[in-house]
Amino acid sequence: MIQRTLFQKGLLLILALGLLTSGSIASAESPEGTSRFFSPPPEDSIPSGPFGDLVRKGERIFTQTRKYAHPYVGNDLTCESCHLNRGRKAYSAPLWGAYVLYPRYRKKNHRVNTLEDRIRGCFRFSMNGMPPPSDSETIKALVAYSFWMSRGAPVGEKLTGRGMINLESPKRTPDPFSGKKVYAARCALCHGLHGQGRKSHGETAFPPVWGARSFNQGAGLFKVSKLAGFIKMNMPLSKGDSLTDQEAWDVAAYIDSQPRPKKP
Amino acid sequence: MRSIILAVLFLPVLFFWEGEKAMADDLVAWGKHIAEAGNGKPGNTACMECHRLTGGGMPSIGGPRIAGQTMEYISREIREVQQGKRYGPVMAGVVQNLSKRDIQAVATYYSQLSPPKVSDIHTPSPKLVSLGKQIAHRGLWKKNIPACIQCHGQNGYGVPPLFPYIAGQNRTYLLQQLLSYAFLKRKDDPQGLMRGIAKRLSTEERKAVAEYFSSLSPPR
Ligand code: HEC
Ligand code: HEC
Ligand code: HEC
Ligand code: HEC
Repeated sequence: MIQRTLFQKGLLLILALGLLTSGSIASAESPEGTSRFFSPPPEDSIPSGPFGDLVRKGERIFTQTRKYAHPYVGNDLTCESCHLNRGRKAYSAPLWGAYVLYPRYRKKNHRVNTLEDRIRGCFRFSMNGMPPPSDSETIKALVAYSFWMSRGAPVGEKLTGRGMINLESPKRTPDPFSGKKVYAARCALCHGLHGQGRKSHGETAFPPVWGARSFNQGAGLFKVSKLAGFIKMNMPLSKGDSLTDQEAWDVAAYIDSQPRPKKP
Repeated sequence: MRSIILAVLFLPVLFFWEGEKAMADDLVAWGKHIAEAGNGKPGNTACMECHRLTGGGMPSIGGPRIAGQTMEYISREIREVQQGKRYGPVMAGVVQNLSKRDIQAVATYYSQLSPPKVSDIHTPSPKLVSLGKQIAHRGLWKKNIPACIQCHGQNGYGVPPLFPYIAGQNRTYLLQQLLSYAFLKRKDDPQGLMRGIAKRLSTEERKAVAEYFSSLSPPR
């Protein structure tokens, strides 16, 4: 008898929700936001033919780096781990913002760098791997992908949303102890209490943020200021810009105080 | 002589080990009993009435598939329903009298099962399935929505312990939950992650992802 009424309750609920879906809810939606950033061409506009094939190959390498560029990868990250939405998201050093600025001078190695050099740098440090030769298919595909994505962007211009954000200097010196608390509350759910990341059926789902399988000490994110800027705009995933600047500095200081592979 | 000493030393260990195992077996047996007949207290209904004994769920009434979700996730959801943090109008009427141990037992029992998919009552629309697939794998970053599989794992198989699998779940339930996060009182998601995403999806997009994930097979 009790079960009977419960079943009826369940059915009523479904009906009620059904009504809701068809009616009032539609009006609660906000229109699709217009973007203040450069919009790269949509993915379904990649042309067919050899150029399109190279672009698609670049996209695959970018999102499944270990699978498609195996010999050059030394950790559990992909290019997309730091360049979100397949290299499209503003303030995660999007490819459309990068392509139009190279070749350019970099203080880090005191010379004019090509895009190829820059990508090889990310392999060496961020992916803790072996840089592919400049004339390899891997580099050609990644350059083609970047070129295609910047179609329509003004050459030589620093576009809004390019690179990562430079946070203002913190009011108080970044403090790993406060950072540890932020990490436990806002990051450990996905990246694990020990920074190890999480797997789903054997595949990396959330990348490790420190330890042997993360980026090495030569990587851009090993600089607390760079990491703080990345975190501020991109983390927790889908909740970018929800930490205070100080929290971003503190948690960056904590993460960069943890062990990781040495600079090669 | 030496072997006797060894035996004396190891016996307690052996008993302890056996004891642990027996307790674990007991726990699963008690969990199965609750699933089949309830825990005997008033106000508790056997889980199988709505989730089946094997945990495959009941698409016709929107009873979710729970087999193979993690022990942590299943027990967490029941506790949140008890505490009123998770909107669960049906569940709220049947789990109030479960003790901590009951919850652990029944959660362990269901987490270990993987029955075949119970077929949905509904034939999916190809158009919605293909929109759903696009959102599931690429997200809708214009609205700050990452690909669903980034948090729910490859193919929607879940990321243990707290990101549930959604592949092969029934469509009615999936849609109900997206609506509960967006408009009703399912407020138990960590950091409001799922509420934010469900709110930003449009009516059509919610239907599309529900159709897509229900058209897949569950893990294992
Ligand atoms: C651990 C994080 C991380 C990973 C993984 C990573 N990168 Fe980077 N990448 C960075 C950082 C940090 C910068 C510097 C951004 C800045 O200074 O504004 C950068 C810069 C770049 C740039 C130049 C961007 C610009 O605006 O100047 C390109 C191109 C690039 N990365 C490509 C790649 C590719 C291709 C891969 C995969 C092989 C990759 N990255 C993997 C962190 C990463
Ligand atoms: C909801 C899950 C989730 C939460 C919470 C989260 N992240 Fe992430 N994080 C991700 C995912 C997923 C990626 C990789 C992005 C991709 O592949 O698109 C990532 C990438 C990163 C990276 C660059 C890649 C690497 O492994 O080093 C850093 C650093 C990072 N997160 C730091 C943080 C910090 C700090 C917090 C807390 C303030 C946080 N994340 C919270 C899911 C999450
Ligand atoms: C009368 C039908 C009914 C009974 C009996 C019932 N459930 Fe449920 N259960 C539901 C419904 C319907 C939902 C969806 C939430 C809601 O609407 O209350 C649900 C949700 C759940 C969830 C959350 C699933 C998820 O993916 O988040 C779990 C776990 C669960 N039930 C476990 C149990 C257990 C264990 C029992 C037995 C002790 C039980 N249920 C008894 C109908 C029932
Ligand atoms: C940023 C991480 C994140 C993303 C992206 C995400 N989810 Fe979730 N989702 C969660 C978390 C965490 C939970 C568990 C919340 C809880 O315990 O209530 C959840 C729960 C759910 C549930 C309830 C499952 C159940 O068994 O009751 C559904 C349905 C769901 N998500 C669908 C989706 C869909 C569809 C998408 C893509 C549009 C998506 N999610 C994207 C984090 C995410």
